[in-house]
Amino acid sequence: MKNILFNIILVLLSLTVQSQTVRGMVADQNHEPLIGATVMELGTQNGIVTGVNGDFVLKLSSRDSKLVVSYSGFLADTVNADLSQMMHIMLKENTEELDEVVVQASSTFMDDLESKHIEVITEAELTKAACCNLSESFETNASVDVSFTDAVSGAKTIRMLGLDGRYVQINRENVPNVRGLSGRYGLSYVPGTWVQSIDVGKGAGTVVNGFESMTGQINVELKKPENSEKLYLNGYVNSFGRLELNANHARNISDQWSTALLLHTNYFNNEVDQNDDGFMDIPKGRQINVMNRYKYQGEKMVSQIGLTVMRDEKAGGQLGFDFGDDFLSSPQYGFANQTTRAEIFGKTGLLFPNKPYKGWGFIYSASYLDIDAGFGRDNYQGTEKTLYGNVIFQNIIGNSFHQYKTGVSILYDDFDEVYADSAFSRQEIVPGLYYEYTFAPGDKFTMLLGARSDFHNLYGTYFTPRLHTRYQFSENTIVRAAIGRGYRTPNTIVENSNILVSSRRLIIEEAPDPEVSWNMGGSMTTSILIRDKKLNLIADYFYTRFENQLIYDMDQNSSELRVYNLRGDSYAHSFQLEGNYQFSDRLSAKAAYKFYDVRATINGEVRQVPFNSRDRFFLNTSYATRFDKWEADATLQWFGSKRLPDTSDKPAEFQRDSTTPDFILLNAQISRGFRWGNIYLGSENLLGFTQDNPIIDAQNPFDDNFDASIVWAPVAGRMVYAGFRYKIKR
Amino acid sequence: MENLKLRMNTMKQLFSALAFFAFLTSVAQKEPVEVDGGYKVEIKTSAICEMCQYALEKDLAFEKGVKEATLNLDDKVMSITYNPKKTDPQTLRQRITLVGYHADTLARNPIAYDKLPMCCKDGSHGTPIPQMPLKAKDGN
Repeated sequence: MKNILFNIILVLLSLTVQSQTVRGMVADQNHEPLIGATVMELGTQNGIVTGVNGDFVLKLSSRDSKLVVSYSGFLADTVNADLSQMMHIMLKENTEELDEVVVQASSTFMDDLESKHIEVITEAELTKAACCNLSESFETNASVDVSFTDAVSGAKTIRMLGLDGRYVQINRENVPNVRGLSGRYGLSYVPGTWVQSIDVGKGAGTVVNGFESMTGQINVELKKPENSEKLYLNGYVNSFGRLELNANHARNISDQWSTALLLHTNYFNNEVDQNDDGFMDIPKGRQINVMNRYKYQGEKMVSQIGLTVMRDEKAGGQLGFDFGDDFLSSPQYGFANQTTRAEIFGKTGLLFPNKPYKGWGFIYSASYLDIDAGFGRDNYQGTEKTLYGNVIFQNIIGNSFHQYKTGVSILYDDFDEVYADSAFSRQEIVPGLYYEYTFAPGDKFTMLLGARSDFHNLYGTYFTPRLHTRYQFSENTIVRAAIGRGYRTPNTIVENSNILVSSRRLIIEEAPDPEVSWNMGGSMTTSILIRDKKLNLIADYFYTRFENQLIYDMDQNSSELRVYNLRGDSYAHSFQLEGNYQFSDRLSAKAAYKFYDVRATINGEVRQVPFNSRDRFFLNTSYATRFDKWEADATLQWFGSKRLPDTSDKPAEFQRDSTTPDFILLNAQISRGFRWGNIYLGSENLLGFTQDNPIIDAQNPFDDNFDASIVWAPVAGRMVYAGFRYKIKR
Repeated sequence: MENLKLRMNTMKQLFSALAFFAFLTSVAQKEPVEVDGGYKVEIKTSAICEMCQYALEKDLAFEKGVKEATLNLDDKVMSITYNPKKTDPQTLRQRITLVGYHADTLARNPIAYDKLPMCCKDGSHGTPIPQMPLKAKDGN
């Protein structure tokens, strides 16, 4: 009973899910539940395997779908889906022959039924890149690019559709998370071992989660109290001397209550300077990160509440600069960052057990973030207090051909920032309301039309329309198209903290306006059989056009960073072709080519945005023996040439080329499984490619030519790591 | 209700004991034979379905000295190829009992058995279960 309820709740709470969901259980003629039976929606690749009670919950593309139910040794059956009640499906034993059904779980998959283009990265995929936090979680994924920020802070950010990660809405369990002042480092505040799965949606996202998804939406699901391992220990060490310890614990307190405690700590206190420029290639760092969460599961209500606290400290810059040193007076050029973050978050859902399509949800979060940082002789302090609430109601109109979600949300964001001798304060109060209608007349066609209005106290009304459609041409071929508008408020200093590690003067020419963009595009997924195995092909194209963008102009003058609102055009074309193929039970590969044409009006002229590779290639191969006793993975990425900001007004010895060479990065990992977990050994940047002289005039960091922000490749060379995962199941 | 549960439990235990005796009578312990890459032993188990097969094959895959372990669901016999220097048939049988299954004449570990999924328990695929199959799971 618990499990069934849990599943119902999951569906109601996962807000991207539509309410066309069928529930039931599969049993044999003696009512004995069949565990591991396959339930497929007829004519699609959409299916699920029954759980320990023989139970299943399956999201359907149509109310009229048929279900194909199969189980080895039993006669497969096709039945009409009945959404109005729990289905009890009985299979007859096949006495003639054993008809084996092999269900292969893949570690990344596309959600076929979703009208949005969404890729799901599972925990199995995440363990292929063993280090360390969310910023590294996308290494084996082709749609999200990692980017290199600067040669001092060690921050890693992502890019999607060729544009900076700040245009991606990053949610943690549907609560906006990596945003505001944590926009630059926020990814490193989510430890990898806490993550259960990640949804990567390209293009405009659902209006239910707000107006901020401009190029994409990433939702991170963390380990849940009700189904995570009783104990999960992870230790990690790398050749630079970084140590990590992770410990998760989850248990049931009672029939209704469960809890999870997630702990993370990392420690790195070595000075690594492989390029001998007197600067640490990676800053020293230490972090303690704790989350405690509770879940209540009742018949008519489900509720979660959690608390998370984090403290992160970094010390970088010239060799010798240490934690706690005063960057204002230190003889070394110092980089310091002390960040404290605390958050209370939760959600509550009200269920209607007889009407699985209907439900109320309330999502909330209150957070506090404090940054105390320094870059050379410049100090930065920032405090952000955020309150977020979202009330969602979902139901159908007559029948499940017509579904809707509607609700109201409120965002309160209070910023206090000090940079050098200027202070900035901003208080945003943004109430909003939205309505999203889904028309799903059959399993072939789905349309999702949403709109929201938000009433920003500083910038007026934001109107955000979004449209997603999906059409299934044949069993294997699905076409999707989407268009939508998005908004965000830029945070000038934080988003440029990479440029602050330079002698550039920050010149904010005018008050920043909110950034506004339209995104449109579509994708086609198809598969062809080659030697009995499916070659899955995914092609997508997205076009982002900015109505307003905050331009960070490094080109006008190499000793300045000019910030102004867009004066002209800014757009990005993004095209990606991806193929994946399972050569055998053991070997699979994934390859992608990506083309990004990203241009903006910089210094009065439409030109390529710096630090962006127009062409990229991605190749990932995975090998695993039975039961993952041995696993081997390798990811190769080729980055085409990038444009660099103009440095021609610098003295000749401090000039840089206007474009970069292309280069290759290779990551690889092997792991050996045991009954209790596994051990792994891997390498990042195995080929050891690094950028020569990443810092301009590193000898004189307090002089006018110093610039550590022109970074387009890794600064640190080959890194080797090893670790273990120890798990006790429940 | 409590009473019914109690009676069901007693019946379950009785059934379990009977099943093991029935199991014993059908078992004749086989000697290992030499094959390519080591020795091979066939062990009769009390496995029932694919879930059991998966659990057993997975567990034995990680057992020291085991090169290959496959369960034939028709006769429930597990064929294990192993390195005689690292392990022996009795150790392997014991391991199977720790997964929750009888192995030849060795009785299963009751704690491990309790944790098995429902379809791997005595009477599954054979005996009726209560009309509310979902309730039946609550005890586990």
